[in-house]
Amino acid sequence: MLRASGLKKSYLSGDRRIEVLGGVDLAVMAGESVCIRGESGSGKSTLLNLLAGLDAPDEGLVEWEGTEATADRRARHLGMVFQSFYLIPELDALQNVLMAARMLGVPGAAERKRAAELLARVGLAERTSHLPNQLSGGERQRVAVARALMNAPRLVLADEPTGNLDERTGDAVVDLLLGVCRETGTALVLVTHNAAHAAKAGRALFLHGGRFA
Amino acid sequence: MPWYLYLALKQLFPTGRRFPFFTAISILGVALGVALLVVSTSVMAGFGHEIRRMIVDTQGDVQVRADGLVADSAGLAATVAKVPGVVASTRFAAGLVQVRFGDKRLYPTLQGVDIEHINGVIPLDSYLRRATLDDLDDDSVFLGIKLYDLLGASIGESIDVFSPMLLDDSRADVVTLPRSLKIRGVLEIGHQALDESTLLVTMRTMQDIYKLGGATKGLNLKLADNEDPDAAARRINAVLPPGVHAASWLTNNQDFLSILQLEKNMIFILLLFIVIVAGFSVTSSLLISVVRKTREIGLLGALGANPRQVAACFCFQGLIIGLGGTVAGLALGLGTLHYRNAIITVFTKLTASREAMDRFYQFSQLPSWTTTSDLVLIVSCSVVISTLAGLLPAWRAAKLKPVEALRSE
Ligand SMILES: Nc1ncnc2c1ncn2[C@@H]1O[C@H](COP(=O)(O)OP(=O)(O)OP(=O)(O)O)[C@@H](O)[C@H]1O
Ligand SMILES: [Mg+2]
Repeated sequence: MLRASGLKKSYLSGDRRIEVLGGVDLAVMAGESVCIRGESGSGKSTLLNLLAGLDAPDEGLVEWEGTEATADRRARHLGMVFQSFYLIPELDALQNVLMAARMLGVPGAAERKRAAELLARVGLAERTSHLPNQLSGGERQRVAVARALMNAPRLVLADEPTGNLDERTGDAVVDLLLGVCRETGTALVLVTHNAAHAAKAGRALFLHGGRFA
Repeated sequence: MPWYLYLALKQLFPTGRRFPFFTAISILGVALGVALLVVSTSVMAGFGHEIRRMIVDTQGDVQVRADGLVADSAGLAATVAKVPGVVASTRFAAGLVQVRFGDKRLYPTLQGVDIEHINGVIPLDSYLRRATLDDLDDDSVFLGIKLYDLLGASIGESIDVFSPMLLDDSRADVVTLPRSLKIRGVLEIGHQALDESTLLVTMRTMQDIYKLGGATKGLNLKLADNEDPDAAARRINAVLPPGVHAASWLTNNQDFLSILQLEKNMIFILLLFIVIVAGFSVTSSLLISVVRKTREIGLLGALGANPRQVAACFCFQGLIIGLGGTVAGLALGLGTLHYRNAIITVFTKLTASREAMDRFYQFSQLPSWTTTSDLVLIVSCSVVISTLAGLLPAWRAAKLKPVEALRSE
């Protein structure tokens, strides 16, 4: 499903080059859930951005289902969830979820129905017409989860989705993410600091010194 | 509707916000500029239209002149009358004279009036005050109203007219007396220069004073409605004998008409700057919006948007503001024009300047002439400017890398 090989990434800070990733290999099977842990600054977000094709590696290759990861294919293949929820403040919950579908074309009745169902699935059936600033942090993150799943991607990348949430809410969001992905057969790559969350995933990896330990 | 257009609309008119100030103020800026352009070009065109009408009303549509004098003007009139499009003709003759009244000496133009035919070409009666054309006989004169004021004469008094021909006579030791003419009426054309320098007499008196015999200087022609004056002049030239030429009023007044046009264009360009300044304010508010929405722009990238679509989102915001402002500005401008006389009445009452207005502009009503071509020009300029205004923010937004945008605090 997803294959990354020999990913290297370094940043220039002043006149010193800091190597963040030093040749990372990763393969994610369809429907599998993988957890990535690591110290702060170990390059987890950097890796996820490379996997998403948002950033280009210095060396190495990322493939989705055998073809190269490009921006144009992202909308259809990939859902992303971030630590900050990044909802569009002018749009209500339903429209935020539909925004993912809009990238592929004008949403019709079927898409609206799916968006409403997804919101119901994440427990926000009563909140579809709320604007982001009328939602709690946990509710916002659940809207973001629904948005990530809108286009029925084969893979969801989640970068510390619980980072801005309290423990109880965070647990609920991770359970939701794992549950929905399992139901729909979606592969999940979850970056987290939380050992309990990591334990729930099918496979746990630890990033250290620019490689998986 | 593609997502970038949808998002552009949503960012300008957010759900649940009753009045989008941000958008309203940008739109208002463009609208004011457009309204001013509409009002001023229409009023300028109105003045131009009045002046053109006045030129045609005093010279006819086409003028036929000879290199020297036209001896057989009746024959010439008959030739010209056969040309299609020519409706009427009247003979004219004019020349400078000196006028004395008391100790005043002025140098107006003496014009001979072809009394039987003039009203077919020139609505002279509508310019006459305190007299009709029938009052003019061989010993009387009509004065332009400004000339009348300058001389300080009154109706019924006589003025002395000296023609340059007297110089020839005195060289030949012949003593000729000036012609004494009685003032019968005044003439108000509404053009300062004409009202200051016009002296109307019968054609016979003119021919006598200028020693023309039976000759005239040429013909003024009236054309059928909607006839192109230049085309008609070409047709007339084809049948004229050698040494006689026809020229349309457009050709005869080319310099003056191009000054009018230049003036109108200058005002257009100056006022266009208001729209350009409004465009800059649209640019700056959209730039602020790009900075404020950096993280959302990153998110759009993560959702699969490409930079061109992100750019389109901001470009469309400029365009929508431009369209909104243009429509509002057209409505405001045309509304102002519709109520212009009421507005001026209030304004002149406030400043107590009604008399000055009447005296300097000759109009108690402000002329206005709105043409489709002017409106099309204004609309296209304002839409192009607002689209350009969205270009810089769009470029900034497109240049943002999703990773860096998402990382930004
Ligand atoms: N654009 C950049 N320019 C310079 N250095 C960068 C840039 N982006 C990331 N880095 C550096 O790369 C390293 C890895 O950053 P990254 O955000 O991937 O860490 P992380 O593992 O996600 O940390 P955290 O758990 O705190 O989110 C950090 O040391 C950071 O300073
Ligand atoms: Mg991180």
